[in-house]
Amino acid sequence: MESDGVLQLPDALTLERLREEVGSRLEIHRAEVRRMKFWDTFEWGIWFGGCVLFSSGGVCRLCRREVGEIGPVICEEEESGAKFRFPRDFRAASMREKLLELTGLRALAPVASATFRQRQADFRNETGKIVCRFEWAEVAGMKDHHPLRYCRILPLRGYEAEAAGLEGVLVGLGAEAATGTPLDFVFRSAGNIPRKYTLQPAFGLGTMTPAREAIGRIIRAMLAIARGNEAGIVSDLDTEFLHDYRICLRKIRSVLSLVKGVYPEDDTLRMRKILGDLARETNRLRDLDVYLLARDEYSALLPEVFRADLGVMFRDFEAERAGVVRKVSARLRSPAWREAIEEVERFVAEGASPLPSHASNFAVGPLVFRRISKRYRKICDIADKLGPETPDEGVHRLRIECKKLRYLMEFFGELIPGEESEVMEKQLRRLQNRLGGFNDCSVQQRFLLDYWSHRKSGLDVALALGGLVSILHLRQQQHRVRIHKALDAFCCAATASTFKQTFKPPAVGMVPENAAP
Amino acid sequence: MNILSSYSIKGGVGKTALAVNLAYALREAGRRTLLVDLDPQGAAAFYFRVDSAEKFKMGNARALTDGLRRNIRESDFPGLDIIPSNLAYRHFDILLHSMEKRRKQLRSVLDGLKSDYDVILMDCPPNITLLSENVFRASDGILVPVIPTVLSRRTFGQLVGFFRDKGLPTEILRPFFSMVQRQNRMHREIMEELPVEHVGFLKTAIPFSVDVEKMGVQRMPLLAYSHACAAALAYRTLCDEILAQSNTPP
Repeated sequence: MESDGVLQLPDALTLERLREEVGSRLEIHRAEVRRMKFWDTFEWGIWFGGCVLFSSGGVCRLCRREVGEIGPVICEEEESGAKFRFPRDFRAASMREKLLELTGLRALAPVASATFRQRQADFRNETGKIVCRFEWAEVAGMKDHHPLRYCRILPLRGYEAEAAGLEGVLVGLGAEAATGTPLDFVFRSAGNIPRKYTLQPAFGLGTMTPAREAIGRIIRAMLAIARGNEAGIVSDLDTEFLHDYRICLRKIRSVLSLVKGVYPEDDTLRMRKILGDLARETNRLRDLDVYLLARDEYSALLPEVFRADLGVMFRDFEAERAGVVRKVSARLRSPAWREAIEEVERFVAEGASPLPSHASNFAVGPLVFRRISKRYRKICDIADKLGPETPDEGVHRLRIECKKLRYLMEFFGELIPGEESEVMEKQLRRLQNRLGGFNDCSVQQRFLLDYWSHRKSGLDVALALGGLVSILHLRQQQHRVRIHKALDAFCCAATASTFKQTFKPPAVGMVPENAAP
Repeated sequence: MNILSSYSIKGGVGKTALAVNLAYALREAGRRTLLVDLDPQGAAAFYFRVDSAEKFKMGNARALTDGLRRNIRESDFPGLDIIPSNLAYRHFDILLHSMEKRRKQLRSVLDGLKSDYDVILMDCPPNITLLSENVFRASDGILVPVIPTVLSRRTFGQLVGFFRDKGLPTEILRPFFSMVQRQNRMHREIMEELPVEHVGFLKTAIPFSVDVEKMGVQRMPLLAYSHACAAALAYRTLCDEILAQSNTPP
C-alpha cells in the first residue's frame, strides 16, 4: 500500500530501534511535547473552512489544514486568560476577521485535546549530508484510546532513493501505511468527528416511495437535527441552536399539512399542535435574539446623537433575555418537553402504525408534484390581485404561500429534475427574500412600538425609536416595489411553463406491491 | 525573481565563499534560493557536502534544463537548493558554441528553473569565456569580489573594459571589497580610491577571516557554524544591501 510518507508504527519500533538497524548516521533530536486543545463550532465551520484552531503553550493559533495535518499559521495571539467564545473575544483584528468569516454567528467550543510528543531525526549519507528527515510522533487523545504512533518520512529533493530505502527498512521492522491522519485520530478519540451540518439533508426518496414512508423519513431526519440542537439551547452557547431548532419544528409542522391525507387528520392536528406549542414557548427568546443580533445594524441606521439612547432598549432586551433564556432552558430540560418530543418521535418511528389514511400508500412523486403545481398557481392568483393598496396582511399571506412552496421543493428536491429546479428555486428565493424583507420591517415596527408602549419613559429613547420606526417604514415601502418586480419574473409565462412542464403529474395512484421505494 | 552571479576573472578572491554564504543568508531572509555551481572544481557544492552532478546530455537548451533540474539537490538548510557542478561543465563553452543564440542560452535555461525560486545565484569559474558572457547576459546583478590590491584592481578594470567592448550594461556590475585587512595601508588606500573610479560599489566589505577558511573543514557555510564572527555579520549585511537594492528589502 502507498504510504504517502506516513507510516503507523508498532509500539516496539522506536527511533533508537531504527538506529540499531541503520547505524549512527541517524541523528536524533530532542523530544518536544505539546498539549493542544482544539476548537470549532457546532457546524465545524473552521474544519470545513479548511482550517484548524488550537491553543497550546499559551498561544492560540489558527492554521490551514492540509490533508488532515496542521499547516501554516494564518494568525495567532497569546491567550489572555479570558475565555473566548466568539471572534469578537480575540484581540488581533486579523484573527477576529478570519474567524468571523469561518464561523459566522456560531460559538467556539473545545472539540478535542491531545498531547503530541514529537521528535525529529536526520539521516546522513557517508559524506555527512542529510538525505532524509523523520518526524516521529506519538499522539495521545482524550479518551482511553491507545496512543497513535506514526512517523513521517521527509525526503530531501534529489535524495528520494535514499528515503525509499529507509521506508523499506521501517516496513521491515513492522511499520505500516497509515490509515488516517493524526488529526483524524485526535477527533476520533475525542468522539467528535467533523461532520457536515445541514438543515436540508437528503432523504433518499424516489418517485414511487409510499407517501407515508417519505413523510416519515423527512420528519425523522428533521427531528434528529432538532434534538441535536437541544444541548446548545440549554447551555445557551449561541443563538443559532434555537434558530435551527425552530426551523426544524416549523418544517415538520409544515410537511405534516402540506401533503394531506398521509396520516389520519386528527393525528396530524395533534402532532402539529404539540410542535406549535413547543415552538411558541421559544418565540420571545428568538425575538430578543433577532433584535440583539441587529444591534449594530440598527445603530448604524440612526444619527450618532440617537445611538446611545437606542442602547437603553438593547440593555432592556439583554436583561429580559437573561431571564427568558433560563426559562426556555429549564423547559427544554423538563420531562414534559421531553415527553412531547418523544411523542412525535414515536408517532413517526419506523414500524409505528397509526391508522391507514387515504393517501398513505400513494406514490409520493405524483402526489407532491400536484401539490407543487397547486401552490404555484395559488401564488400566481394572489400575485394577480396584489396592488400598492393591498394591506400588509395580504403580502404576509403571499409570503406564507411562498414558504410552503419552498418547503415542498426543498423536501422533495431529490425528485425534481436538476436544471429546471435550480432556475425555479432561484426565482423563488429572490421573491422570498423580498417578501421576508417586507415582513421583517413590518414586524419590527410593531415590535418596537410594543416595546415603547410598555416602557413609556425617556423622551430620548422615544425619539430614537421614532426615528428607527420611520426608517423601517420607508424600507418596507421600498421592499414592496421590489416584491412586484420579483413577482413579475416568478409568475411570467416562461416560469409558469417551466413549472407546468416540470410538475405535470401523472395520475396519482397507489404504489404497486412490488415497486421499489 | 532575481538572477545573481558571483564572478571574478581572478581566482582566490572569495568568490565561492560569497556564493555559499550569500545563498545561506538569502534563505535566512526568507528567499527560496537555488545555488548553481558552474565552476567545474565544484567547491560550492563541496561546502554543502553535495556530490558532483550526475552526467547528463547537454545537446540543446531543453536537455540542459532537464539535466540541471534532475540534479537539483536540497541542502541541509530548508529553502536552499543546490545544483552541484560536474567536471563535464568544462565543455560548456563548446556546447554553447554549437547552439543558436549562443550568447543568451543560459538565460533561457534559467527561465526553466525560476518558477520554484525567488533567487538563483550562480558561482562562476574564474575566466572570461562564452559561458561567462552567457552569465553576464543572464544576470540581473553580478557580484564581483575585489581584494583591495593592485592586481585585483587591474582585473576589475579588465572586466569593466570587457563589458564596454561588448556593449554590456556596466550598471549590473556590483563590486565589493573582499578579504579586507584594515591594518594594511594599501588596502585602505585602494578602498578609498576605487569606489570613486567605479560607480556601483557595494558599501559592505567582507573582512579577511580564518573562520572563512575553516569552511573546508566544517563543510558548511560560515554562517551556519559561526553566527557572530565579523565575516558572518558582514555577509549578512551584504545580503541586506543586495536585497534593498533589488527592491525586495529583507
